[in-house]
Amino acid sequence: MSSPILKAAHVSKHYNIGERRAVVLHNVSLELEPGEFAVISGASGSGKTTLLTILSGLDKPSNGRVWLADEDITDLDENGLAPLRNRLIGFVFQAFHLVPSLTSLENIMFPAELNRDPEASEKASHLLNRVGLWEQRDNRPEQLSGGEKQRVAICRALINNPRLVFADEPTGNLDSENSREVVELLLELQQEFNTTLLLATHSSAITDRADRILSLHDGRLVKNDIRP
Amino acid sequence: MMIHYRFLLEELRYGGKQVLTFVVCVALSIATLTALNSFRRDIHGSLIDEARALQGGDIIIHAHQPISEELEGTIDTLAQEQDFQQQSTLEFYTVALSEDKDTSLFSSIKAVESSYPFFGTIEIASGRKLGEVLKPGSVVVAQEVLERLDLAVGGLLNIGDVAFEIADVVTFESMRPVSFLTLGPRIFVSMADVDRLGLLGRGSRVEHEILIQLADPANADRLSETLSAVATPRVERVETAKNARSRVKVFFDNLLFFLSCISILTLMLSGIGMQGSLSAILYQKQNVIAVTKAFGASNRYLLIQYLAMVSFMGACGSVIGVIAGYLIKRLFPLLFRDLLPQDVGYAFHPVDALEGIVLGIFVVTVFTLLPLHRLGAVKPVMIFRHETGSEKPGAAPLLAGIICTVFLILLVVRQIDDLKIGIFFVIGLILLIGTVALAASASLWLLKRSTLPTLALRQSAKSLYRPGNASRSIVITLTSAISVLLLIFLLKLNLFATFIESYPENAPNLFCIDIQQDQKDLFQSVVGEEVVMFPVIRARLLSINNTMINAEQERQRKTDNLGREFNLTYRETLLEDEIISDGNSLFGDSKSLPSGVVALSVLDSIAEIGEIGLHDRLRFNIQGVEIDAQVTSIRSRTKSRLYPFFYFVFDSGTLEAAPQTFFAAMHLPKSLIPDMITAITAQLPNVSTINVADMADRFGQLMKRLSVIVTFFASFSIMAGCLILVSTIFATRLDRIKETVYYKVLGADSSIVLRILSYEHAMLAFLSSLMAVLFAEAAAWLICRNVFDIAYHPHWHVAALTVLSSIILLVLIGLASSVGIIRQRPAVYLQQQNSV
Amino acid sequence: MITTIKPNVLSRTILLFMMAVILLAGISCDSSPPPEQQEPAENKTMTDSRGVIVAMGDSLTSGLGVPPEDAYPAQLERLLAERGHDYRVINAGISGETSSGARSRVNWVLKLKPDIVILETGANDGLRGIDPALIEDNIEQIIVRLKQEDITIVLAGMMMVTNLGKDYIANFKSIYPRLAQKHQVILMPFFLQDTATETSKNQADGIHPNSEGYSIITANLLPFVEKAITSDSQ
Repeated sequence: MSSPILKAAHVSKHYNIGERRAVVLHNVSLELEPGEFAVISGASGSGKTTLLTILSGLDKPSNGRVWLADEDITDLDENGLAPLRNRLIGFVFQAFHLVPSLTSLENIMFPAELNRDPEASEKASHLLNRVGLWEQRDNRPEQLSGGEKQRVAICRALINNPRLVFADEPTGNLDSENSREVVELLLELQQEFNTTLLLATHSSAITDRADRILSLHDGRLVKNDIRP
Repeated sequence: MMIHYRFLLEELRYGGKQVLTFVVCVALSIATLTALNSFRRDIHGSLIDEARALQGGDIIIHAHQPISEELEGTIDTLAQEQDFQQQSTLEFYTVALSEDKDTSLFSSIKAVESSYPFFGTIEIASGRKLGEVLKPGSVVVAQEVLERLDLAVGGLLNIGDVAFEIADVVTFESMRPVSFLTLGPRIFVSMADVDRLGLLGRGSRVEHEILIQLADPANADRLSETLSAVATPRVERVETAKNARSRVKVFFDNLLFFLSCISILTLMLSGIGMQGSLSAILYQKQNVIAVTKAFGASNRYLLIQYLAMVSFMGACGSVIGVIAGYLIKRLFPLLFRDLLPQDVGYAFHPVDALEGIVLGIFVVTVFTLLPLHRLGAVKPVMIFRHETGSEKPGAAPLLAGIICTVFLILLVVRQIDDLKIGIFFVIGLILLIGTVALAASASLWLLKRSTLPTLALRQSAKSLYRPGNASRSIVITLTSAISVLLLIFLLKLNLFATFIESYPENAPNLFCIDIQQDQKDLFQSVVGEEVVMFPVIRARLLSINNTMINAEQERQRKTDNLGREFNLTYRETLLEDEIISDGNSLFGDSKSLPSGVVALSVLDSIAEIGEIGLHDRLRFNIQGVEIDAQVTSIRSRTKSRLYPFFYFVFDSGTLEAAPQTFFAAMHLPKSLIPDMITAITAQLPNVSTINVADMADRFGQLMKRLSVIVTFFASFSIMAGCLILVSTIFATRLDRIKETVYYKVLGADSSIVLRILSYEHAMLAFLSSLMAVLFAEAAAWLICRNVFDIAYHPHWHVAALTVLSSIILLVLIGLASSVGIIRQRPAVYLQQQNSV
Repeated sequence: MITTIKPNVLSRTILLFMMAVILLAGISCDSSPPPEQQEPAENKTMTDSRGVIVAMGDSLTSGLGVPPEDAYPAQLERLLAERGHDYRVINAGISGETSSGARSRVNWVLKLKPDIVILETGANDGLRGIDPALIEDNIEQIIVRLKQEDITIVLAGMMMVTNLGKDYIANFKSIYPRLAQKHQVILMPFFLQDTATETSKNQADGIHPNSEGYSIITANLLPFVEKAITSDSQ
């Protein structure tokens, strides 16, 4: 049995708002195996996004530790995290977060260029073709529809062949038709790239297809089921 | 409609730095103008006082002959009607004789009444008043009279038919502060004695004056007009102290003009800063505004809230500005030390404060028009759609532009008191901004086309074109600001280069003129060391290429005219400070000239005036003898105009026989000069010496002081310029922060993030400052050559420094405005993005 | 150390400086028209067969403030032509020139190869209170030099303004007849006869004759010049 690609131990997160302390996450521990498709489910405000950002190193836990591919990232500084973000993991956000000044192709290329990949352009073109957006390669995000944007974002997340992809409500801003297509695409590509996928959603349609279901309720991990 | 105070308070609190920037901009815009205007009032007051002291009256009537009865009668009548004081003076030269009539002295007699003078001072050795000492039968004389005639106070002095008792010695006359060009020393006599002198009457040459002292000097112009109407034209001159052409007044008018221009530029820059910071405030609040609108707030309601906010900030700025103006003015005595009459009051009147506040209100209104108008363009839908489409600009910017222009013209015209110059000034600025806008678009377009080698460079270049970018307006703002600042400095540098630096330590400080041909050797032996003597030959220019010089037309010229008498010289070589700007050598190949034609080198300045070119034929009348000359070279001077120079230099030979005197220029240690002058005048009494050591010193000090003053005023422009940089960068930083977060999420480390941010700001700074350098150099060149008429040096190192410091400053500001994100985890910023 | 700086250090500094600059730059303050406006180009001295009268003098000769054709030399040339005398009159007057200046210039004026010289100088010396003995010496040297070249001389007498005092004006006035007597030259007793002190014959400065004044001067001068012409042609 291989070691877990992602491991969290006793992770808590709280914010101080004036005198009040708001606990968002409470003592969450979990492990993900390579190649798994895991879903974090829960109602709005249950702490899904917070957990995802902490696990991916975009945020720091108040307590507890996080390991990515056996490396303890809890106390890494931003420069230590940068190569991990670039090569080890990929992100897909609800609000897309594409770089507005870049075209679709450039957006996809960007992580590969950061990685000094000489084949950045070829890889990006291939991915863009793969998701059927070659015609839109020179369009900027403002000229794309929501579904198109999210497909570009998925390509961008995958271009450096990451071992782990985080997706935070990737269909949250999409209509049902586009949602379905984006989910299909994510899962197809997850298979193709043999990536671990951790996806936060409250859509039961997606949850049903996950290998593992993590349920959050008021910041606590209430369920950690592996589907047979 | 009600003002919502809590809303206002919140807005102010969260506006933070932008609110501060706005207030400081308002304060800056009015501080120097307020101080300057207040100062101008003081100066004008004291200069009028001084003009009176110099003239001795509020109104002065002057004639070479007795004042006409008609004018005298009018004055007498009006004096009774309007209750003013008058007195007469006479001034003439005579040959005064010592007690025993053995020695004589050519002296300047001034006959005065006991009330003389109305204004100004006459100081007497005994410390008493002139009127008390100068009784009929006595005279008060200059020390020189006693020395030259070997007399003492109490002795007798013969003037005309009368022997006077010498009552006292006059040491200073404010009406005659310069004894430089007077032919004889002063002797005061009482008006009562004039008739028995036997010197006046037919065939005598006497200057007649009537001095008038008014109860209210404000009536001077009116009374002067009345009297002028009665006065014999061209013979009787009526002047008021106010319009007397005092060089000091002209000097200060010019200085204040220059400082006013700088202050107006400061105001404009501050205005741009205000506009920028207010835009930034409103941009940050866009969502709040949209939400407020979604809940039913009308444009009118919002406009009133923000108007109240702007008014409040404007009021704060104005008050601070007026206080700053007051403080700046407190510095003036220090700044203008030695430049001003000592009795200038540096008062700060309520009217100065009022003027400052009114100015503040105007400035704020004009420069906030456009940002406030844009409030109406914010649509509630923006809450839901983040990507803001660029709104088509309506008529509003045009209208705001027109209002700004009109306001500026009014302000400039009021400030520099000249409609034509004011309009030129504003049109020049508008042209500048228009050209900058075009150039900004062009250079951004070029940048877009170019392929850049590294990811960071490419990325930063692309950031300039992000949707909804403000790059063009940033470049326009920065270019305008930097070019104005650089322009001020280039002008300052060139002015001072002409007037200070080019008068170096070893420049000649003693000049001797009128050395006769047969005195050359004697002069040389008196001076001791080798001294260069230039021949000086007086002559007139008759024709250029057979076209006669028209003396009448020449006299109309504002520049030097070709109709006057010139001083020619001849020599074989160029002087140290000369270069040949046209032609091969000073006198070319003299063999190629027709016989009887002399080779001539012409100075560029007079060549320009007379449109004289190489090979032109000039005919001179040299003291009765006509000589033809052909221009073989045009010379330029490399140093200051304080050096002696000759327009026309002839090849030696022909002119050596012409009547000539010699002119010598020497540099001596300052302490040795008085002895040298004594030695020269003892042996060569006809030689005039001009000691410019003190003058040069004083002039140098004066110029350094002016430099400090100009720098002081320019520093306010720099402050405003820096504020623009800061407010522009801060206003647009949200876009950059957003992108930076994305880079980080995608795995960019701090070095690449820093590089992208730095490059982006560096590109903006480089583009802007490069264009600014071009514009400023061009404008400064135009102004130096056409307005000041001085040589222009581009000072490229200053330009390079400007580019460099703009880049450094902008990069630093840019990094400071977005550096927080580099060390922090991106989640915080991502949530901010999501929450709106 | 001067503690009581007089009203305006600056004004004086600037004034002094301007003057220095003006002096050094060779900008003389007068901007009078050139003394004569002849047709240029053709070298008259070569081709002209007329006799040459040189009018040597100061601003009263050069015609300060009047058009060149109204100054006395031009008027005289026209008058002589009308009366059948074939003479050119060259205006060699220099504004502001003293007798010392004239003396140093005499050799240069000889270049014009004059047959007759009308010498009018000394007024500027007088207005500056120069010692009459010096003036007399200067004029005498000029006369001697001209006589060496066999030139006929018309000496214009001058008088000084009353305010200089009786002694001075008497000494001044006596220079001219004394020299004329001594060197046997033609003397016009007073150059400004009938124009001096006449407001209507002078310009606004009260010193320099206007065009009308010059007509009178020319008419007064004519008999003395004709006398010179007679003696010259002998």
